Amino acid sequence: MHDQFPLVLRLFARFIPGDLREPIAGDLHEEYLAMRQRLGAARADRWLWWQSLRLALTFRWERAAHGRPLPPIGDELRGFGSMWDGLRQDIAFGVRMLRRQPGFTAVAIFALALGIGATTAIFSVVDAVLWRPLPYPRADRVMSLGEQRPRESRWFGPIAPADFFDWRRDSHSFSAVAAYTIMSPSGAYNLTGDGEPERVRPLEVTPPFLGVIGVTPALGRDFRAEDETVGRHRVVLLSDALWRRRFGADRSVVGRTVAFDGRTFEIVGVLPARFWWPTRPDVVVPLALDDHDRTLRAAHFLEAVGRLRDGVSPRNAREDLRIIGARLSKDFPAENANHAPNLRPLRDAFVGDVQTMLLVVLGAVAFVLLIACANVATLLLARAAARQKEVSIRTAVGASRARLVQQMMTESLVIAAAGGAAGVLLASWSLSALRTVLPARFAGLPGIDHLGIDVRVLAAAVIVSLVTGLIFGVLPALAASDQRLGVSLNEESRGGTGSVRARRLRSGLVVAELSLSLVLLTGASLLVVSFNNLVNVPPGFEPSQLVIARVNLPGARYAEHARTVAFFDAVAERLAGAPGVQRVGATTSLPFDGPDSRLSLTIERRTAQSPFPVRVHPRLVSTGYFQTMRIPLVRGRGFNDHDAEGSVNVAIINEAAARRYWPNEDPIGQRISIGAEDDWREIVGIAGDTRHEGLDADADPAAYLPQRQRFVSLGNGFERTATLVIRSSGDAAASVAPLIRTAVANVDSQVPIGLVRQMDDLIGESIAPRRLNFVLVSAFAAVALVLTAAGLYGVMSYLVTQRTREIGVRMALGATRRQVLALVLREAGSMTLLGVGLGVAGALVLTRSMTTMLFGVSAANPLVYLSMSVLLAAVALLAIAVPSSRATRVDPLAALRES
Amino acid sequence: MAATDVTSLGEFEHMVLLAIMRLGDDAYAVPVRDEIARCTGRDVSRGSIYITLDRLETKGYLKSRLADPTPERGGRAKRYYELRPRAVDALKDSRRALVALWRGLETALS
Repeated sequence: MHDQFPLVLRLFARFIPGDLREPIAGDLHEEYLAMRQRLGAARADRWLWWQSLRLALTFRWERAAHGRPLPPIGDELRGFGSMWDGLRQDIAFGVRMLRRQPGFTAVAIFALALGIGATTAIFSVVDAVLWRPLPYPRADRVMSLGEQRPRESRWFGPIAPADFFDWRRDSHSFSAVAAYTIMSPSGAYNLTGDGEPERVRPLEVTPPFLGVIGVTPALGRDFRAEDETVGRHRVVLLSDALWRRRFGADRSVVGRTVAFDGRTFEIVGVLPARFWWPTRPDVVVPLALDDHDRTLRAAHFLEAVGRLRDGVSPRNAREDLRIIGARLSKDFPAENANHAPNLRPLRDAFVGDVQTMLLVVLGAVAFVLLIACANVATLLLARAAARQKEVSIRTAVGASRARLVQQMMTESLVIAAAGGAAGVLLASWSLSALRTVLPARFAGLPGIDHLGIDVRVLAAAVIVSLVTGLIFGVLPALAASDQRLGVSLNEESRGGTGSVRARRLRSGLVVAELSLSLVLLTGASLLVVSFNNLVNVPPGFEPSQLVIARVNLPGARYAEHARTVAFFDAVAERLAGAPGVQRVGATTSLPFDGPDSRLSLTIERRTAQSPFPVRVHPRLVSTGYFQTMRIPLVRGRGFNDHDAEGSVNVAIINEAAARRYWPNEDPIGQRISIGAEDDWREIVGIAGDTRHEGLDADADPAAYLPQRQRFVSLGNGFERTATLVIRSSGDAAASVAPLIRTAVANVDSQVPIGLVRQMDDLIGESIAPRRLNFVLVSAFAAVALVLTAAGLYGVMSYLVTQRTREIGVRMALGATRRQVLALVLREAGSMTLLGVGLGVAGALVLTRSMTTMLFGVSAANPLVYLSMSVLLAAVALLAIAVPSSRATRVDPLAALRES
Repeated sequence: MAATDVTSLGEFEHMVLLAIMRLGDDAYAVPVRDEIARCTGRDVSRGSIYITLDRLETKGYLKSRLADPTPERGGRAKRYYELRPRAVDALKDSRRALVALWRGLETALS
């Protein structure tokens, strides 16, 4: 592109002395043409821009440092030395100036420390979670696989085992693919054997899992392909932490056995200390599915990861999977119609919706920083006016404007450096505070264990401080060194209000602060309203006083369905009479305790094609479950003890299922089959909807099945892992925990029991990320408001001081206090109005990126905008109250005498 | 312009003068920079070449002339430099001084 040259020349020529311009341009042109021929136009263009910029800077500096004619001193190295000397002088002078005005300095450094500190703290979180590479070799090649069901707006749902094995067999894009199971938070193994029994978190994976993420055991061996066969799968890899804690880092541990939930596993290896996975497993065991489970196509409970083959792009892999998915949809229309495999980078799977939240918080914090900049800039502007005498003297003795700007910018950078240092301290404190309030959902985020100030974060803080210093320093420095300003400031000393330019600049900065604040306030209040809406969503049951405990019945001794039923009956019986216990129930899938499986639903004698996928969540529940949870029965009957094996199979559906699948008819008495062709059950009742995956997730169609009747569509032994729910009376919740343990131990001492928790805590955890989100953004909005109010106060009191004489004259000529007040308020009011207007416009645009984080409130909710505008205006009024009341108390005589 | 003393010749100025001497009739900024790079392996910034040439001219070590414009330079002239006698003297002096100082030291460094 030939035409770059004139443009570059035009831009940079003015920095080069006139008599050198032509030969230098010619030299550049000559080299540029040679470069183009050798390296191509794009690189030559880059070269040209870079060289021209360097040349311009060199000459600019040379002129600023020495002026022309160039002094006869040594070589360029010495030139650099003199530059450093000048800088040191500037810094020393700057520090002296700042120490002479401790009030100004303290306020400026404090404002910057708030801005830079908050930015640094949030940056360190965002960097750790979103930007740092995952701790796996070539982590960008590792993809997370999921099953997408667009009709249900699920893009990365869990995978059915049969689908997974088909993908694994037929895809050519991956060097290895591995599945693992989704573990609900309360699922854990009981480690028994030498020492105290201990609960350990397992990760069940198919053998190539470690190879996919590129981890090799530190000790012993990785899983082998045959380890996923039932019967050979009793092998385990220990985490480094468990190995050290439980086995004293004994290297001979490989080959020994441990018992989990009464089953014996051989230790085949120990994972390296740096091994990390979001669920923080203590043990990794092979995921062995039996022949029946391997054929499940309607039960979705696997997740998968795959490492892309060299040379295969994610796009190719997606296409490869799409073809397999299309074939499976055709071959198995009942289960797989409208299903397709999908893949995304592993980090996206780990981070999920937290990404938006983090970026919104980072945006909020950047606004606080900008406001702090504007604030310091207004302070500097006010100070610049006061320093006009100094500037004039320096100009008179020959300082160039560039030299003055350099001096003032150095002072700004000194302030920024001090603010940055204080900010980093603030950030490291707030990070330790943040670590203690992080919700459980955040524990699985990459890098969250290593939050802190390290080299990267420090570098970011330094860059932010420097850029901040430039941003808030450049306008005041230019204004202060402006000779035209000097002239008008001579007038100011006679009682004016500074040059029009300087005044506009100050007002502009305050308007910017006001509008940025309003954007933050609006964003924060939208989040607060959303959160408030969310906590007021009725979950469909009564969570208070509900105590829950997960129970895993060992498969070996509870192979028969009847034994499982007998176990839960016995526990319920023992607990029912205990003090403080009102009712006892059990369920295979508890609300707010992780996702639950979904199966296809067949409705008897219905032939018409459904316009949407016909699926339900099957939930096995005990007879007393509905009463214990206080889930209302809308129609029909509940379960009773006669709904057992041998009698007619029954089901209770929820209202969502009734609405969706029987919109115009009565479901009661109809027969359905769940996850199978002809496993018919009669619908005997309709239960109220419950929120399951979160307060913000609408109820999905669900079918409750009595625990006493066998249900095998989700695999053998589905009913063996269940959660006991106990409604305690009054405030007896805390005392119920030991009762549950005793009751379970009395029935079968070898049945492990999970953490005993309260339902309220579970719901609290599900909304904790939103709580943190709105708390952070609100805190930043509050800081922004305070900074803005301070900025407005500063500017208005400065204006009033400057106009004392004018006000005095006006009052001497008969102006009333009201008129003086109106004069001052008009000034402040127009700034506030403009700020509010711009802020509303900005908020309308920017809050759109938050829509996924809002709940029950639109991003353009007029009430929110109105109330926040009023709040901002009220705070602004408060900020100008003192200066304007001072204006009305100006004594005309004193004001005139002073001037 | 007080500095006529040879000792005020900096290391880099020295290199530039020698490069011009080596180049003879073809001494303008681009080949000067290339020659320094070729002989010393130092990649010097263009800006310092121009500033040093300018300074050496001001100090009276160099004289320059503008050549005719050529099309491959976008119709712009080259500025050719040549050494004035002072510069040759200064180089000779410094060489003499350096050689004298080096004498007998070759073994000390080997």
